[in-house]
Amino acid sequence: MSKGKKWLVPFGTLSEPRQLILLWISFALPLAVWAIVSYVPFVWHPLVKIDDPGGVSYFTRDALIERSTFKAENAKLAASGGHIATGTPANPVFLPAPHEVAVAFYKSFTTPPKRKGEKWLHESLWQSIQVIFWGFLWSSVFGVPIGILCGTFPFFSRITEPFVDFTRYMPAPAFGALAVAVLGIYDAPKIAIIFIGTFFQQVLVIANTTRKLDTSLVEAAQTLGANRRQLLFRVVVPGISVDLYNDMRILLGWAWTYLIVAEYIGASSGITFFINQQAKYRIYDNVFAAIIIIGIIGFTSDRILDWIGRQIFPWQKGVKKSLLRAILDRRRNSTQNTETANANA
Amino acid sequence: MQTLNLPSYLDQSPEVAARFSKLKSRPLILDVKHLNKTFHTHTTLNDISLQVFRREFMCVVGPSGCGKSTLIRIIAGLETTTSGEVLLEGTQVSAPGSDRGMVFQGYTLFPWLTVKKNVMFGLEIGGRSPVESESEARQWIDLVGLSKFENSYPHELSGGMKQRVAIARALANNPRILLMDEPFGALDAQTRCKMQSYLLEIWKRVDVTIMFVTHDLDEAIYLSDRILVLGTNPSRIMEVIEVPVPRPRSSSQFLSPEFLATKARLEELIHGPEEAEAMPLPKIRLTHAGDDVE
Ligand SMILES: Nc1ncnc2c1ncn2[C@@H]1O[C@H](COP(=O)(O)OP(=O)(O)OP(=O)(O)O)[C@@H](O)[C@H]1O
Ligand SMILES: [Mg+2]
Repeated sequence: MSKGKKWLVPFGTLSEPRQLILLWISFALPLAVWAIVSYVPFVWHPLVKIDDPGGVSYFTRDALIERSTFKAENAKLAASGGHIATGTPANPVFLPAPHEVAVAFYKSFTTPPKRKGEKWLHESLWQSIQVIFWGFLWSSVFGVPIGILCGTFPFFSRITEPFVDFTRYMPAPAFGALAVAVLGIYDAPKIAIIFIGTFFQQVLVIANTTRKLDTSLVEAAQTLGANRRQLLFRVVVPGISVDLYNDMRILLGWAWTYLIVAEYIGASSGITFFINQQAKYRIYDNVFAAIIIIGIIGFTSDRILDWIGRQIFPWQKGVKKSLLRAILDRRRNSTQNTETANANA
Repeated sequence: MQTLNLPSYLDQSPEVAARFSKLKSRPLILDVKHLNKTFHTHTTLNDISLQVFRREFMCVVGPSGCGKSTLIRIIAGLETTTSGEVLLEGTQVSAPGSDRGMVFQGYTLFPWLTVKKNVMFGLEIGGRSPVESESEARQWIDLVGLSKFENSYPHELSGGMKQRVAIARALANNPRILLMDEPFGALDAQTRCKMQSYLLEIWKRVDVTIMFVTHDLDEAIYLSDRILVLGTNPSRIMEVIEVPVPRPRSSSQFLSPEFLATKARLEELIHGPEEAEAMPLPKIRLTHAGDDVE
C-alpha cells in the first residue's frame, strides 16, 4: 500500500508498517553503535586485559592496563629477553558490552543486595515511582487549575505569573536543604523537590496552552448564552483537553529528570541510591541495567498514556476507531435507541 | 457602461411595495442608534443608525474593512461600542446573550462534541433537561437535513454540513435575531448556492430575523428584503436598498431586470467610478500581455 510513495514527505504521514520499521531502527541504531564499540577491537578498546602477566611484576591476571603501558613494558621485556605478557584488547569497566548488561539486567532482579538493609532493584524502583507519582500528583492538583485560570482570566495571569516566572528560574535542587530541614530526611522532601521542579513550569505551560484555545469557540459559546462558569467548564476545559493531556505527558518526563536530584537529598534512596551503590562496587553492568530500566519505564508509560489519550479523545482527526471506543459508541447508541423507542411509545 | 435598458432599482411592483409596507409595520426587532466605534484613533463605524423589523432578512454589504464584521460583533455583544446604543426589542444590549444567535465564517462547532451535542449546547446551558434538549436538538438537525450525522464529530463533516449544524445550533436557542458574518464565505460556489436556498427555506419556516454580512452581491440580492450598504473613508451608511425582486426567490431571477438593476446600483455604490480610476496600475509589464488585448 505504501509502494512507490516516498519516505521523506514534508508534513506527510507514514504507513503503519513503515512507522514500525523506523521505531525498530531508532533503537537498533544506538544498539548497533554500542555493539560495534564493544565487540570490534580496533574501534576503541584503549586498554588491554591481561591474560598472562609474564615478567611484569605489577601486572596481574584480568587487570586492565593502558595499551601504551602494556606495549612499553613488553618492549622492555623483549629487550631484556624476559617472559612477554599477553592480553586481549578491552574497553574500560564503565563501558560494559551489551551482553554483559543483558545478563546484569536479568541478574539485577534475581541477586539479593550485597549488604543487609540495602534494597533490591525492584524495591528501589518502586520507591522512585512513588516519589514521582506523589510529587507529580500534588503539583498537578494545584498546577492544572491555576494554569487554566491564568490562561482564561488575565486577572489570574497578572497576579500569579510574574512570581511563578521569577521562581521557576531558581533550580529546584537549591531548595533541597530547606526541604530536608522542614520535611525530614525521608520521602517528603524528595516529593517536595519533584513538586517544585514541576509546579512552576506546569502553571506556565498550561496557561499558555489555555491561551492558545481558539477564541472563536469561546465567542460562539458566549453567543449561545454561556456564562463564565459554563465557559470555563464546558468550553475551555474540553477545548484544551487534548493539548493539556500532551503537556502533562511532557511534564511527567521532566519530573523524572528531577528524580535523580531529589533522591540525593536527605537519606539517599530509590533508583539513585541503587545506581550509586553499584557504581561504588564498580558493577557498571548493573548501573547500565538500572539506567535502561528507567528508560523502559518512561517509554512504556508514555506509550500507555498515548494510547489512553487516543481512547478518551475520539474527536481528534486521524484517530482510528479503537475497540474500546466502538464498544462505548455502541452502548451509547443502544441507550439512545431505547430512549427513542420509549418516546415513540 | 450598462447598455441594457434597466428599470430603476427604486421601481417596485405593487406586490413588492405591499410587502415592504407590511414589513415596516411589523414590530422593531433591532434598533441601532448613532453607533460609533473607534479602534485606537481609527474610526471604523461613524454614526450608524438602522432599524430591522421582525422576520426581516437584511444583508450588509460594503468594501472590505468598512466595518461589517465590527457592526455585527457589536450587535452580538462581542465588541464594545465607543458611543451610541443597540436596542433589541427595546432593551439595550451590552454583552453576548442567547437572544442573538451568531454564525461565523470560520467553523466554530465544538470539535469535542458530536453534531447532536453541539446543537444541544445552548439548550443545556440554558437549563433545559437533557431529554428535552435532545429531542429538540433532533428536530433542528432534521430541519437542516443532517439526521444521519447526529452522532458524527465535526471533523467528519464537510464545510457546508458544518455550517448547517452551526445554523441549527444557533436557531435551537430560539434567538430573536440571527447574525451571520459571511457564513458561506469559505464554501465553493455550488455548495454556496445550495446553502443559500437552504437558508431561505429555514427562514421561511422559523420565526427569526436575520442579519447577514456578505461580499457576494448576488447572494445579498437573492437573500434580502433590504440591503444595508456601508461605505468607508469616511465610514457611513451609503444606502439601505429595498430589493425589488419578488419572493419566493429562485435562481431564475438572477437575470430579471429588477435583479440586474439592483446589482448595478450596488456595484455603483461599492466600487464607485472614482475608485476604479484610483486603482494603481502595476508597474511591471507582463510578457506580451498587451498582444491579445489590442
Ligand atoms: N480588534 C481590532 N483592533 C483594531 N482594529 C480593528 C479591530 N477589528 C477591526 N479593526 C479595524 O476596523 C476596520 C473594520 O474591520 P471589519 O473587520 O469590521 O471590516 P469588514 O467590513 O468586516 O471587512 P471584511 O469585508 O474584510 O471582512 C478595519 O480597518 C480593521 O482594521
Ligand atoms: Mg468581516
